[in-house]
Amino acid sequence: MSRAVAVVGSGAFVPGYAGLAGWVAGVPSPDHEKAKAELVPTRQRRRASLLSKAFAEAFAETLETSTLEPSEVASVFGSALGEAATMISLLDQMWSETAMLSPMKFATSVHNAASGLISIATENRGFTTSLGADFDTPAMSLAEGLGLVLGENRPVIVCCGDEAPPAELVPEGKGWSLLTAAIALAPVDQAPAGSTLLSGLTILGGVGSANSENSERGASAGEIKPRDADSALGRNPNVGLLDLVTAIRDGAEGLVALDRGEGRGYTVRLETPRHG
Amino acid sequence: MTSSLGSTGSTCLTAGGAVRTAYPITGYALCNSIGMDVAEVRASLRAGKSGLGPSPIELPFETVVGAVRGPLPELPEALAPWTTRTTQIAQQLLEGKGQEIAAALDRLRGRWRPERIAVLLGTSTAGADVTEQAYRHFLHEGTLPADYDLFKQHTYGAVLHVVRALTGSEGPSWVVSTACTSSAKPLATAQRLIDADLIDAAVVGGIDTLCSMTLHGFKSLDALSAEPARPFSEDRRGLNIGEGGALLLVEREGEPIAMLEGVGESSDAYHIAAPHPEGLGAQLSMQRALDQAGCDVKSVSHVNAHGTGTRLNDVAEAAAIESLLGCEVPVVSTKSYTGHMLGAAGGTEAAFLVMAVSEGWIPGSLRADPVDEKIHIRVAQERIEGRFDHVLSNSFAFGGNNVSVLVGAPR
Repeated sequence: MSRAVAVVGSGAFVPGYAGLAGWVAGVPSPDHEKAKAELVPTRQRRRASLLSKAFAEAFAETLETSTLEPSEVASVFGSALGEAATMISLLDQMWSETAMLSPMKFATSVHNAASGLISIATENRGFTTSLGADFDTPAMSLAEGLGLVLGENRPVIVCCGDEAPPAELVPEGKGWSLLTAAIALAPVDQAPAGSTLLSGLTILGGVGSANSENSERGASAGEIKPRDADSALGRNPNVGLLDLVTAIRDGAEGLVALDRGEGRGYTVRLETPRHG
Repeated sequence: MTSSLGSTGSTCLTAGGAVRTAYPITGYALCNSIGMDVAEVRASLRAGKSGLGPSPIELPFETVVGAVRGPLPELPEALAPWTTRTTQIAQQLLEGKGQEIAAALDRLRGRWRPERIAVLLGTSTAGADVTEQAYRHFLHEGTLPADYDLFKQHTYGAVLHVVRALTGSEGPSWVVSTACTSSAKPLATAQRLIDADLIDAAVVGGIDTLCSMTLHGFKSLDALSAEPARPFSEDRRGLNIGEGGALLLVEREGEPIAMLEGVGESSDAYHIAAPHPEGLGAQLSMQRALDQAGCDVKSVSHVNAHGTGTRLNDVAEAAAIESLLGCEVPVVSTKSYTGHMLGAAGGTEAAFLVMAVSEGWIPGSLRADPVDEKIHIRVAQERIEGRFDHVLSNSFAFGGNNVSVLVGAPR
C-alpha cells in the first residue's frame, strides 16, 4: 500500500439533494435544487456561473467534512466542458447588434473560473489548477491530485463537475444534467487513523501500471456497482467521481470505475485499514 | 530502456530543506507567428523580427495579431475526423519538417513503456474556433454543420487523442486550462508525476488558436492594442493576441538540452481579472520556483517576463521582479514578437528558455523604448550573447493564477 493515499473528506452537489449526505441517503430535498454557494462572497456569487456555484457547494461540503485549512489546501478542478454555456452566451452577445461583450462575463468564461473564485473566497495563495479530459476527467483529476499528495506530500481537494452542455451543440439524448463531486486526499501519515485508503488508479497500461488491476475490471473481482442515477445524471462526464465518493460514504471496499463506459476505463481501489 | 543515458534527474536541497529533482528536457518544438518550426523561430528571434500583423479574422475594431501564417499539414487519414486548427498545429509540432523534436521523441519512446509516457497539454481555446463557426451556422440555418462533432473538434479530449496517437503515448493525459498559465503548469505536473513515480516521461506544452470571442473579449476589457504591443514601454497600449503551440519532452533520464529545475505555482487570491497591484502572487511563484531548485536569486541570469504590454500587468510584474531579483537581471517580453499566445504562451516561453541555456543567447525585447519610468528593471532591448545557466519565465492568468518556470543549463 505504499502508493495509497487517505481519503479525508468528500462532498457533492446533485440538484435536489442536500449535498453528498443527502444523495447517499437517497432523500430528495426541494430546498437544494440550486447551489447556494455560500462559500463565495455575495458580490462574486452574483457573477458566478451555475457550474462555479455547484463547484463551490461540493468544495464547501468537502472542507466541512475534513480538517483541512481552506487557505492552505491545494485544489484541482476538473471539467470536461467547463464554462461552455458561458461561451455560448458570449457568442450571442458578440453577434448581437451591439457586438459588445460583458468584460466580467468574458473574464469568468475561462475554464478556471471556479478555481479562481474559490481561491479568492478562501484567501488561498497556494496551488490550484483546472483541467479536463472528456470522460476521463475524474480519473485525470485524481491523477493530478495523486501527484500532489505522493509527489509533494500535501493534501488536496479534487473537485469535478459539469453543467448541462449547451443544447445547441450536442445531439438530442446525448446531453447530461449538472453535478459536481469532490474528494479530499492526504498523505496516509497526515490522515486520521482508520481513514479509507485509495490506491491503484490504473487502466491496462495506465497510471501506476506496475500494479495494473485492469484485468479485474468488469469481472466480479470486487468492482463496486455504482448507484443508479437517472440517465441524464449518469451521462455526466464526472459521474465517476460521484460514484467514488458515494462508495466511500457507503463504506464500500473494492474497485470503483471512474467512468461509465465512455472513458479509457480507469479504476481506483478503496479499502479500509483493519489495524488503526 | 537504453543503457547509455546522458543525464538523470538530479536532486537539490533547498535552503528550507525541501527536496526537488531537476529533470532533463530532451527536446522541443515550436510553431507560431514567427516561424513554423524551431529553426524559423530561432532565426526570427535572433533577427528581432516580429510576427505581428493583420488579423485573418474580420473584426469591427483595429488590432494586430500573431497568426500562424504558413500552411498546416493534413492529419493522417485515421485522425482526419479530429481535424481542427489546434490538431493541425499539433501535427506541425510533432512532424513538421523543420522541427528538431523527432529524434528526441524516438529516443524517449525507446526508453520508456508507452503507458509510462504522459501527454500533459495546456490550452485556453481548444476547438473554440470551430465551435464559433458551428454555432454561427446554427444561428443562421437552425442546424449544426453536418461535420461538426463536439467531442472530436471542440473538447480537450480531441487534441489529447491526436497527440497520443502521434506520439504513441498511452499514459495519463489531460489538458490544463487555466487561461494564460495553461501550458506552463504541465511542466510542474510532469515534475510531480515523475517524482511520485507515476510516469517516466511526458510530452508537455500547449496550443491555442485565434478565435473571435477571445479577440472581442480582450477588447471588452480594453486590453487590446491597435498597434504592435510595446511591453514595458511608457507608450504601451495593451496586448496583441497570438496563436501557435509548443511541445517539450521531460524525462526521468535522458540526454538533456536543458534541465527543468523548478516550477513555482501560486494564486493571487485577489481579483478574478486584475493582477495583485504589488505582484504578490507573482513574487510567490518566482520564489517557489527558486526554492524548488535550491537556486539563489543571484543565480538567475534572465527572465522571460509575462510582459503582456497592458498598463497593469507590466508595472505589477516589474515590481515583483525588482523586489525579488533586483534591477540587473535582463528581462525580455517575447510577446513583442509572437503576441500573447494565451494558453500556449507558457510552454512557448519555456521553450525560449531552453534556447537561452542551450545556445547562449537571449533575444531583445521589441518596442520597449522609452521604458516606463515606474518600471525599474533592466529591459533588454538588444540580443545578448553569453552564458545563461538559470533562467526564469513568468506566466500569469485570470483567476489570479501564477506560474514561474526555472530552466537550467544541462548538468
